[in-house]
Amino acid sequence: MVTTLTVHRTRRMVAPLALCLALIAGAVQAAASTGDVAKAFVEEVSTRAIGIISDKSTTKAEREAQFGKLLDEKADMDRIAAFALGQYLRTPTPEQKAEYLGLVRTFIVKVYVTRLSDYNDEKLDVLGAKEKGDKQAIVQSEIKFTNGREPVTVDWWLIKNDGDFKIFDVNVVGIWLAQEQRSTFTSVIRNNGGDFNALLGHLRAQIDKAEAGEVPGANASN
Amino acid sequence: MKMTHRTGGRSAAAQAIFALALLFGLAAAPHAAMAADETAAQTAADDGGDANDPLEPMNRYFFELNRFFDTILLKPVATWYDGVVPEPGRNGVRNFLDNLRSPVILVNDLLQGEWDRAGTTASRFGINTTVGVLGLFDPAADWGMPQHSEDFGQTLGTYDVAEGAYLYLPVLGPAPPRDLTGFVVDIFFDPLTYIYWDKSKTVPTTRFVLNGIDQRARSLDTLDQIERTSVDYYATVRNLYRQIRKNEIANGNRDFNDLPDIENLNFDTNEPDSPQLGF
Repeated sequence: MVTTLTVHRTRRMVAPLALCLALIAGAVQAAASTGDVAKAFVEEVSTRAIGIISDKSTTKAEREAQFGKLLDEKADMDRIAAFALGQYLRTPTPEQKAEYLGLVRTFIVKVYVTRLSDYNDEKLDVLGAKEKGDKQAIVQSEIKFTNGREPVTVDWWLIKNDGDFKIFDVNVVGIWLAQEQRSTFTSVIRNNGGDFNALLGHLRAQIDKAEAGEVPGANASN
Repeated sequence: MKMTHRTGGRSAAAQAIFALALLFGLAAAPHAAMAADETAAQTAADDGGDANDPLEPMNRYFFELNRFFDTILLKPVATWYDGVVPEPGRNGVRNFLDNLRSPVILVNDLLQGEWDRAGTTASRFGINTTVGVLGLFDPAADWGMPQHSEDFGQTLGTYDVAEGAYLYLPVLGPAPPRDLTGFVVDIFFDPLTYIYWDKSKTVPTTRFVLNGIDQRARSLDTLDQIERTSVDYYATVRNLYRQIRKNEIANGNRDFNDLPDIENLNFDTNEPDSPQLGF
């Protein structure tokens, strides 16, 4: 952690040294670069996301469209959708699965454009990265507020898909968001006797409610 | 800072992780016997203990009851409080209530063997009660001693006591056995319990009500958003409660080794592109 932080701040100075080290121990160099790739990925995604959320010249629909594009590009949506079904992963028929994938994407876009509206114009500082196996990484970061509010810690769980990092889950002040989605999705299915259509219905209803403006687009007081 | 703050010493995080392993491990154990190609997907696919809610119908009833009283009483009062009392006043109330809780926090710091944090709690109490004018201000936080909270439910958590089945009670809200026990034990730890005003319960009851109003006022926007963006508000609150408690027990130290295995998680593990690499 400490080393990666230092490398980040004084990269210019350390680069030649890193090169020497790389020649001596290839493995060390490879490890460091994976962490750097993960950190750069998070920096890019968070900058774009904050930019989309903060741009109040766009309509809510435009923000949602841009946010959706960002998710398609940078999040492992199929894996997230599969994870959110928990024990009911194999319940849907192919048709239900197709509809579910579409609905869950729309739902996540609408939910997070709303929930993230608090964080407009804030800056996210990447603190460090940890590798988790060959294909996964955890990037730790922090949102600092200009108004003296306590900083919010954000951890990004990344997984490589076809060689590129994608977001699998995000932890905000200790809460994993995909785990929260999974608990509600499985609860709906369980409480309807294992009927997958119940979940589809709930998702449709929630999206319709959002369309009808019941979900505040950008927090009115901000 | 929290992440690296207390890596040395007796680790509450390690104990909390063990407690979690108990919680989740029981749910995950049967999966080990499954066919190899199913194991990875199933481990990630179990619901993380969310099913541990045998009294769900009753809990949901109380949840709706509390929502009703929230709508007609608590939320309007909290909204009024938030609108009428200026922010410095509300912060004074919060600081005062936090300071009053110091003895309970101290006892639990000590019971957890968290000597550094116990020292912080004791210093905070001394500084804020004097310099901070009976706790209305929080100068200790500016001097590098930020507030933290502890309760006996968390203490039990650090001693590997599992949360138990979910329980949601009128007025109290989420109170699974471990945390309900903690709530009751903390009452005995609290000097305020033994203060006699015009009646024996006046002081603690006033504190409880004031605390509820302040907490509700601070979560007006957050709870509204969560309610409006959830397919099942009850299940969301249940999961958030569990995740928040887990994080509190670990004192904000996050462990990334107990995360579910998602590498081979897929809608159809028989797909030709499914990852078969690894061992």
